[in-house]
Amino acid sequence: MATQTDAESDTGGVMMRDRFVKRVGEIAAGGFVLAIGGLLVWILSTQVDYRLLGSPLIAGRFAEAFLLVVQIVVVSSLLSVSAGLLIGLGRISTSPVTGRIAKGYVEFFRGTPLLFQLFVIFFGVPRLWATGEFPIQNWAVPAAVIGLTLNHAAYVGEAIRGGIDAVPDGQMEAARSLGMSRVMALREVVLPQAWRNALAAIGNDQIILVKDTSLLTVIAVPEIMSVFRNINSNQLDPWTPLVWVCLLYLAITMSMSQLVNGLERRSDWGSDSTMLGRLTRGSGGGEES
Amino acid sequence: MSEPLVEFDGVDKFFGETQVLDGIDLAVDEREVVVVVGPSGSGKSTLLRCANRLEEIQAGDVHLDGRSVTEADVNQIRQQIGMVFQSFNLFPHKTALGNVALAPEKIRGLPEDAAAERARELLERVGLGDQTTSYPEALSGGQQQRVAIARALAMDPTVMLFDEVTSALDPELVGEVLDVIEDLAAEGMTMLLVTHEMGFAREVGDRIVLMVDGEIVEVTETASFFEAPETERGQQFLSRLL
Repeated sequence: MATQTDAESDTGGVMMRDRFVKRVGEIAAGGFVLAIGGLLVWILSTQVDYRLLGSPLIAGRFAEAFLLVVQIVVVSSLLSVSAGLLIGLGRISTSPVTGRIAKGYVEFFRGTPLLFQLFVIFFGVPRLWATGEFPIQNWAVPAAVIGLTLNHAAYVGEAIRGGIDAVPDGQMEAARSLGMSRVMALREVVLPQAWRNALAAIGNDQIILVKDTSLLTVIAVPEIMSVFRNINSNQLDPWTPLVWVCLLYLAITMSMSQLVNGLERRSDWGSDSTMLGRLTRGSGGGEES
Repeated sequence: MSEPLVEFDGVDKFFGETQVLDGIDLAVDEREVVVVVGPSGSGKSTLLRCANRLEEIQAGDVHLDGRSVTEADVNQIRQQIGMVFQSFNLFPHKTALGNVALAPEKIRGLPEDAAAERARELLERVGLGDQTTSYPEALSGGQQQRVAIARALAMDPTVMLFDEVTSALDPELVGEVLDVIEDLAAEGMTMLLVTHEMGFAREVGDRIVLMVDGEIVEVTETASFFEAPETERGQQFLSRLL
């Protein structure tokens, strides 16, 4: 039949095109890796001073900064995720007052730069007291934690609200029709699902939080970038400390992604029917496997 | 005659300007199975959802066992009304057992093992004793709907509402769900069902309620409804199905 032949040749054409696109992708990706990798090898072999890299002067200062950043990240992460949960709940509150306050919070902290918020807290807040009366001596680190928490709570809040929105209405209805109160239904039924829906977005935001600690250099927190700036201005050798900077940030962000992956696996009930799960299994998005 | 278990009394329901229920009067006696039929959009599902206040009504009232549904504590009254949905609405993060045990554990404060024991019994009753640890995603539609029935039974309701519970199922899975509902009817559960399965309505229903455009057109004993509906609307409805 003519139509059948058409269909067959069509499918053949599509398959050819698919294979062509795949090959182009491989060449592009391979070429990219070769170019960047070559540049990297060249820099690492000609620009980096390996004796200096391990010297206590450099390594020791970076180690101190690293520990400080890890502490700031851990505390700000825990606080911003907890606060974000409250903001997400506020966003879906049936009380218009709570809902609007949560919305306003998100608009403000998402709508102004983190740097501005850090300046308000670090420079602005102590001036609310009479000169010399501000009770906190080393204000930089607490200000940093407060700024990161307030800012990232807004993003986490939006992620959680999105996660809640993605839970079908039928879930709340089923829970309520069993006689659960709205709060109980949220806690037992909706939030566990919303949490899973929101995990990837929250993880993404928390990795940005790690990198946002680099801004703290401008409010005199002795973090990783400020160590780099000090060393760079003394040594005129940017590449050696830059290697440290890169490795240290990657160490934190990669641990963070591991943690998020672990949490995602833990809340993955039933089989993996996500788009990514299906694609990586190679069944091409079919419903049945 | 004793008082009816469920009684709709002049119920009006509006979605915005549109009236979807118009002066509904209906009484369901204890141990009775009443099947609501009618064309799509006639307000059948809404009628059911007004019984447990998933929908608020604008006029009239619904009484359960003599108590006004609109005045009683909504969470308490819902515990006496089991509801099963067209789309199952199982909790995907809980196993079959967890789905059934959740409400008794959290609402009644039943100890975990007692709730689990009871849930196991209920799952056995719907023929799923071997699927207690399965997550909904791993179950067929028919199995999911039977878990949903077990879940609705877990709070020991005095009446069960079934809202087109076989409409989302593949035809070959409908039977297993209807069998469970028939068993429930045989055990004397009071039930209000909305369905498109006329064969099933005929088999399980004591009375048939025909709804058209938000009104109850006819309430007739099942046998006589299918032989000779009392109203012209009823005859039209049946003739369109044949």
